[in-house]
Amino acid sequence: MLSYIFRRLAVAIPTLLVLVVFSYLVMYAAPGGPFDTERALPQEVMANLEAKFGLDKPLVVQMANYVWNVVVHFDFGPSYYYKDQTVNDIIAQGFPVTLTYGFWSFVVAVVVGMSLGVCAAVYHNSWLDYLAVGVSIGAQVLPNFVMAPILVLVFTLWLGWLPGGGWQGGQWQYVVMPVIALSTSFMASIARLTRSSMLEVLNANYIRTARAKGLPMRKVILRHALKPALLPVVSYLGPAFVAMITGSVVVDMYFSTGGIGVFFVNSALNRDYSVIMGITILTGALTIFFNLVVDILYAWIDPKIRY
Amino acid sequence: MALLEINDLAVRFETNDGIVSAVNGVSFNVNEGDTLAIVGESGSGKSQTAFAAIGLLARNGHATGSVKWDGQEILNLPESKLNRIRSSEIAMIFQDPMTSLNPFMRVSDQMEEVLTLHRGMSRRAARVECVRMLDAVRIPDAAARITMYPHEFSGGMRQRIMIAMSLLCRPRLLIADEPTTALDVTVQAQIMKLLRDVQDEFNTALILITHDLGIVAGSCERTMVMYGGRIMERGPTEEIFETPTHPYTLGLLEAVPRLDRREEVLPTIPGEPPDMMRDVRGCPFEPRCPLRIDRCTDDTPPLERIGETRVRACHRSPEEVR
Repeated sequence: MLSYIFRRLAVAIPTLLVLVVFSYLVMYAAPGGPFDTERALPQEVMANLEAKFGLDKPLVVQMANYVWNVVVHFDFGPSYYYKDQTVNDIIAQGFPVTLTYGFWSFVVAVVVGMSLGVCAAVYHNSWLDYLAVGVSIGAQVLPNFVMAPILVLVFTLWLGWLPGGGWQGGQWQYVVMPVIALSTSFMASIARLTRSSMLEVLNANYIRTARAKGLPMRKVILRHALKPALLPVVSYLGPAFVAMITGSVVVDMYFSTGGIGVFFVNSALNRDYSVIMGITILTGALTIFFNLVVDILYAWIDPKIRY
Repeated sequence: MALLEINDLAVRFETNDGIVSAVNGVSFNVNEGDTLAIVGESGSGKSQTAFAAIGLLARNGHATGSVKWDGQEILNLPESKLNRIRSSEIAMIFQDPMTSLNPFMRVSDQMEEVLTLHRGMSRRAARVECVRMLDAVRIPDAAARITMYPHEFSGGMRQRIMIAMSLLCRPRLLIADEPTTALDVTVQAQIMKLLRDVQDEFNTALILITHDLGIVAGSCERTMVMYGGRIMERGPTEEIFETPTHPYTLGLLEAVPRLDRREEVLPTIPGEPPDMMRDVRGCPFEPRCPLRIDRCTDDTPPLERIGETRVRACHRSPEEVR
């Protein structure tokens, strides 16, 4: 098992390198540059700027320098747009924000989604099932850019319970609405996945055996059905967790939370290459890591899986 | 008083295509220490009869009639009451040992929960008892292997584990639903011998559900032949084998391969099992019966007694069948 984890981490290095090279090339190939403005800058100013950021060197040298700085100094370089901030600053500022509301979104989505899914499957074809399916379809088709304004309308303007935006170091009042807005669609997917896999498991022969043993239904579900039913859900949770903790543009923009979700989109619009690279690598590394976590969880759930 | 008394049991399933009548008015008794084989082909209602008795029908199934356990009506009892009987008094083992044990749980956890649930034992005491039972079904090195997962055992071993698990509470009735169908022929013989041995040792009554007449002889005192959800014939196994009084039983017996006869082609019963969807009028076997007469089409033959111990449902006389 330990050697498997090491092997997986070793494979992650070339994967990340490919990611770096590919993102770099795509950006390089895109027409225009970070310092292009409406009115062209004087030739000498442009040359100075490019020299300062090392953009005058050949592509291979640029890339090698970048990778060297990232790997050795853990330095993602300066932002081309926010002149007084480095990419490290921006990530250090924005990531804790998205991590906070992303983590709580994950918790809410998993707890509510799984409970809803299990209840729907156990009370299959009852009003509870229809309600759960209805709620999850509703939550899935309601995009968060519709959800967010509705939340603000209800909780801020009508009820006056919650502030309409801001972060304030992550006080709970500021976290609630971002969490609701971000978690609903994930919650819906988890509920539907859980329901269908639980339905399948409940028809399994070993569930009939468990019932023939005289176990009360609660124990049949919790001891015998839950683990196998969660197997397909777990594989969805890895990528979903990464998607949630790296934040969402809509949430960041609508609630002015200042997470990296909004930086990611702005950096693309501003041609802020180093920020794009930084967030891409962060997301990539997190994705690789949490996929590994999922695979380890798999082995823990299913004894037939051994690495 | 009979241990298990089933009267006029009927099982219907509601499906998207309509109502399926799987069992139609089945009645029989099982006494303490009895061994009864229920024989019939797929879809004859033999398994559903047993499932209905202990409330394990699929969700869309509905049972009517009467099932008395020890004189008490248990049909359609709420789960909480049935759970007290399941495994502690009526235990069941299933067709496919590969999928009937939970692949996600250690054998020890699956076995121990039976004793902690019904006998209120501590985990430690339960472990000792479980190992003893695994020894009894001749699982080598049981004390060490009990913490393994089901996939680490062969099919035959898994069925032994199922048998051990079902016997933990010393049930008074064991229902074995095709216990050897999914196993190799050599393993089949071992499992059948084991079932006979434990049946003797614990004096458990046994209902053996099977489509294989070969394993019935020598393992059950009485045999009940079912077709289309109805009883065709019932009586002492030896008599059923020697003097079948129903054309379906006759067909089944002829379809058993025999080494003492040289035949090019193994006889089969022509035709298809009945479509349980349509309301069967008359004898369910009528479309395939070589001895059918006009009244078989519309008039369902009632169960009639012949002698002390046998019943049959056929319009032809026993002499005509032989």
